[in-house]
Amino acid sequence: MAVTDMRVALGPLTLRNPVLAASGAYNFGEEYAPYCPASLLGGIMVKGLTPQPRLGNPPPRLAETPAGLLNAVGLENPGLEEFIRSYPPRLRALDTAVIVNIAGFTVEDYALMARALSGVEGIAALEVNISCPNVKHGGLAFGADPAAAEEVLGAVRAATPLPVIAKLSPNVADIQAIARAAERGGADIISLINTLLGMAIDIGSRRPLLGNITGGLSGPAVKPVALRMVYQVYEAARLPIIGMGGVSKWEDAVEFLLAGAGAVAVGTANFTNPRAPADILRGLDAYCRENGFAKVEELVGLAHK
Amino acid sequence: MGLIIDNSRLGAPEQKLYRLVVESEMARTARPGQFLHIRVADTPAPLLRRPLSIAGIDAAAGRLTLYYRLKGQGTELLARKRPGEKLDALGPLGRGFTVPAAGELLLIAGGVGVFPLLSLGEAAGRRGIPCALLWGGENSAFFAAAAGIAGHIPTRRYATMDGSFGVRGLVTELLTSRLAQPSTGGGLTAAACGPYPMLKAVAATARAHPLPLEVSLETTMACGIGACLGCALPGRDAAGGRVTRRVCLDGPVFPAEEVEWL
Repeated sequence: MAVTDMRVALGPLTLRNPVLAASGAYNFGEEYAPYCPASLLGGIMVKGLTPQPRLGNPPPRLAETPAGLLNAVGLENPGLEEFIRSYPPRLRALDTAVIVNIAGFTVEDYALMARALSGVEGIAALEVNISCPNVKHGGLAFGADPAAAEEVLGAVRAATPLPVIAKLSPNVADIQAIARAAERGGADIISLINTLLGMAIDIGSRRPLLGNITGGLSGPAVKPVALRMVYQVYEAARLPIIGMGGVSKWEDAVEFLLAGAGAVAVGTANFTNPRAPADILRGLDAYCRENGFAKVEELVGLAHK
Repeated sequence: MGLIIDNSRLGAPEQKLYRLVVESEMARTARPGQFLHIRVADTPAPLLRRPLSIAGIDAAAGRLTLYYRLKGQGTELLARKRPGEKLDALGPLGRGFTVPAAGELLLIAGGVGVFPLLSLGEAAGRRGIPCALLWGGENSAFFAAAAGIAGHIPTRRYATMDGSFGVRGLVTELLTSRLAQPSTGGGLTAAACGPYPMLKAVAATARAHPLPLEVSLETTMACGIGACLGCALPGRDAAGGRVTRRVCLDGPVFPAEEVEWL
């Protein structure tokens, strides 16, 4: 029984607690329900949606690396139309905040999706994916250039009354410049990091291991990079932050909050421990109680003091 | 979750074959061809669970038998676990084989691909379905260690490339000569598991015959429950449309015609 006040306010988005499921790791939330009821979570960030359905990249899509995982799924998803037709009642039944991740290939794609999703009941926020490393055009192209990032966020902002989250890529020279651009564009919240671009080679066949050649690295291996970027973005922009990248244990969540994240999202850790978000919440609550924090929000940014 | 009853090597060390017997309530619901997703260590590396197919199901005793070959860090850590230790396993997962209600069943195996077929042979035997195993392997050393695990399947034919055990050649040749014989009444159906090129050749033979065939596929998996889409492969739906199929949830067993053979 939690005695800590676990509610968090991230600008216009209020969540029952600061532990979410990260986009791409959780599909549309249903597969994990038998292991970790979605109603325990602060929210789920669903699989990245594109305007048209996508079959995704050819196999192999995964390669395990030391304390990490490379993936190149390539935004496989049912597409905007099918999502709106079939998914909203199923998502509402999960009884958690549903954050819809959108990915486009042009500025108009993002605006069109934001407009179409604004009328759908039960969506708590939009997460604008300007950071997918696994598709050839778009995605990361918007996340690596401050002017392009500002333009996409501006178009989404103008298209929707929903809270807008800008999901940033770590594959950039200056994360603070991108964060400031997202803020100027009108984002309400910043989420980071998406995966780090990487690759693996099969020494038997002497060929790249992934069908897409390169992929995105996630898991415990990337946590120090993610934490550093959350810390830097906290200093660069005034927006609330959802921190992600290797969050596997409650101690990781505490570190991200101390670095400045108002909430965290759990991705790859679910693959090893399907109950990871619930375990993290329990540990976070115990940490707050043992250290005299009545509200989990009191932890946010303490490492900067 | 389960309790390890046995985790021991089969045959010569260089064959790297192990049998794992687990006591678990998962045995009550497990179906032939399903798998367990096993966490081999509590440390961040290796990161992912390891999927192992279920080779034997004893629902009454609440026991599952699995076999594995040492392949890397994950299976090596698994091999260190001792009887009496807990096994952190999700399952039973995935869609298994269809157990035929009548006719005759052919099991077509390449090497350690025999493992999931063993539980299908067991279930077919319980239904009184005549069952034959066509099994290709590296050489007699492999079969010296492995052949015993298929003893419950009444008819067995073997093939090795060097002819040191069974006939010389590929398992697909065993299949071709079997299909040249008349069936012993009722319809003939088949199930196959093994290396991808072998499965592709078996699927081509089955399509030409025609022989209803299910195949069990293997890919690298992360979540094991259908959420991450990492194990997905191109496939065809029943109407022939292009789809992506998750090996962990839509499979690992698929009708051969629903696989887009690459």
